[in-house]
Amino acid sequence: MTLLIQTLIQGISLGSIYALIALGYTMVYGIAKMLNFAHGDIIMVGAYTIYSTIALAHFPGWLGVLSAVVFCGVLGVVIEFLAYKPLRGAPSLNVLITAIGVSYLLQNIALLIFEGKQKAMPLGDFDFPDLKVGNTGITVTGEVIFTITLTVVLMIALTLFINKTKMGKAMRAVSEDKDAARLMGINVNRTISVTFAIGSILAAFASLCYGMSYAYIKPTTGSMPGIKAFTAAVFGGIGSIPGAMLGGFVIGILEKLSSAYISTQFTDAIVFGVLIVMLVVRPTGLLGKKIREKV
Amino acid sequence: MLKVENLNVYYGNIHAIHDVSFEVKEGEIVSLIGANGAGKTTTMHTVSGLLRSRTGSVTFMGKNISHTEAHKIVNMGIAQVPEGRHVFLQMTVEENLQMGAYTTPKTLKEDLEKVYALFPRLLERRKQVAGTLSGGEQQMLAMGRAMMSRPKLILLDEPSMGLAPILVDQVFSIIKELHAAGITVLLVEQNAGKALAISDRAYVLETGRIVLAGTGAELAASPEIKKAYLGG
Repeated sequence: MTLLIQTLIQGISLGSIYALIALGYTMVYGIAKMLNFAHGDIIMVGAYTIYSTIALAHFPGWLGVLSAVVFCGVLGVVIEFLAYKPLRGAPSLNVLITAIGVSYLLQNIALLIFEGKQKAMPLGDFDFPDLKVGNTGITVTGEVIFTITLTVVLMIALTLFINKTKMGKAMRAVSEDKDAARLMGINVNRTISVTFAIGSILAAFASLCYGMSYAYIKPTTGSMPGIKAFTAAVFGGIGSIPGAMLGGFVIGILEKLSSAYISTQFTDAIVFGVLIVMLVVRPTGLLGKKIREKV
Repeated sequence: MLKVENLNVYYGNIHAIHDVSFEVKEGEIVSLIGANGAGKTTTMHTVSGLLRSRTGSVTFMGKNISHTEAHKIVNMGIAQVPEGRHVFLQMTVEENLQMGAYTTPKTLKEDLEKVYALFPRLLERRKQVAGTLSGGEQQMLAMGRAMMSRPKLILLDEPSMGLAPILVDQVFSIIKELHAAGITVLLVEQNAGKALAISDRAYVLETGRIVLAGTGAELAASPEIKKAYLGG
């Protein structure tokens, strides 16, 4: 019982990281109708930004996080402007290949600057005390509490932004009907830029949580969580924001459960296997919208 | 107010609009009529900036807007009610209207009241998601949404399409109300009889060309029009 509860809590924590990343995938897909496969590498960039600010420039921890948030946000907008905007209206395969190209570009720039040897994340400022739950034998680590709390706060903030602010509503309008949105006076290009910025900022926070849990980073650090988060986004229904949150938690819990009870070696096989089953049974994902055929 | 001169629009290599010229003067209701595929919607989209012309110009209140982006054209005073309504189905009625006021947030409250006064049905359903509205209600919403930007010129693309006869009459009486409120109207309609009846002037489009022009009454009386578009 203790093991089960511990595993579930760890799963929610890991799922939080996936959910933060999955939100970026799903929002960009919803608005720009493209799969931004470079999104996972933004986490890596965020992690190296934190590393550089704290370990190399010796700034305090909070400044490391702040610089990662700003740098990733700007980088997301720049990538969209340079790589994807010129391809607006091009076949989706072209955009997909470009995104994969951007992903390799980011990884190799990181390799040039920081070399392949892994670096320890200098997150001493984020060392929170563990929580022992009575005499049940259950211990919740500080980073798990921090990760889950941060994710919940960010999700609430994002939900309020999307539903209550003018920009958030404009984003929903653009994702539903681009031409109608233009007829309302909404600047679609600017809305897409804001979406990339928000997705990348969430990824920067994910890189903080990732660094707290895994302690080491290397240039390919973003790939696996990126792919898992993409799986989560598809699982929840790509384009759906609540779907990405739910999908993230489901994939995180599934991953932890299968490594605790089945085998750590089969974890990835099980996660992706579940995705395949999902796509066969319910291609639109858990909360995905049915695509209406236009007559 | 709106002057379209020698417009040529292409879809890829397909020449959809040939040398189309027409004019809408302030305070008029002008109709473009014609069969399916004649180029009515293409012409509308070119005016509102959703499509670009290859040659020719669109001038609105003395300014050439041929190369102006769609979202800026809204700001200048042109609102389009697109064919098939295109309301935001997953947003509430009120959010749809808020989107209509995207360029005019200062007068949002006042304009909401106006639109609700004109369409009491929308007030009843303001918290409802637009996808749950009937076709007629969606058309009202699309028209109300366009009014929210305080347009000087409103482009109505097939507003009566797919509606029950009683609703068609209602749509046409709303067009008259908008016009009475001082909005100039450019109307695209397949229901040529009803369109001509309320129009000051009209143009007939055939395979991307304007083939006939005149006042609403002239065209309604023309034997050619009667034969081709009025079922007699």
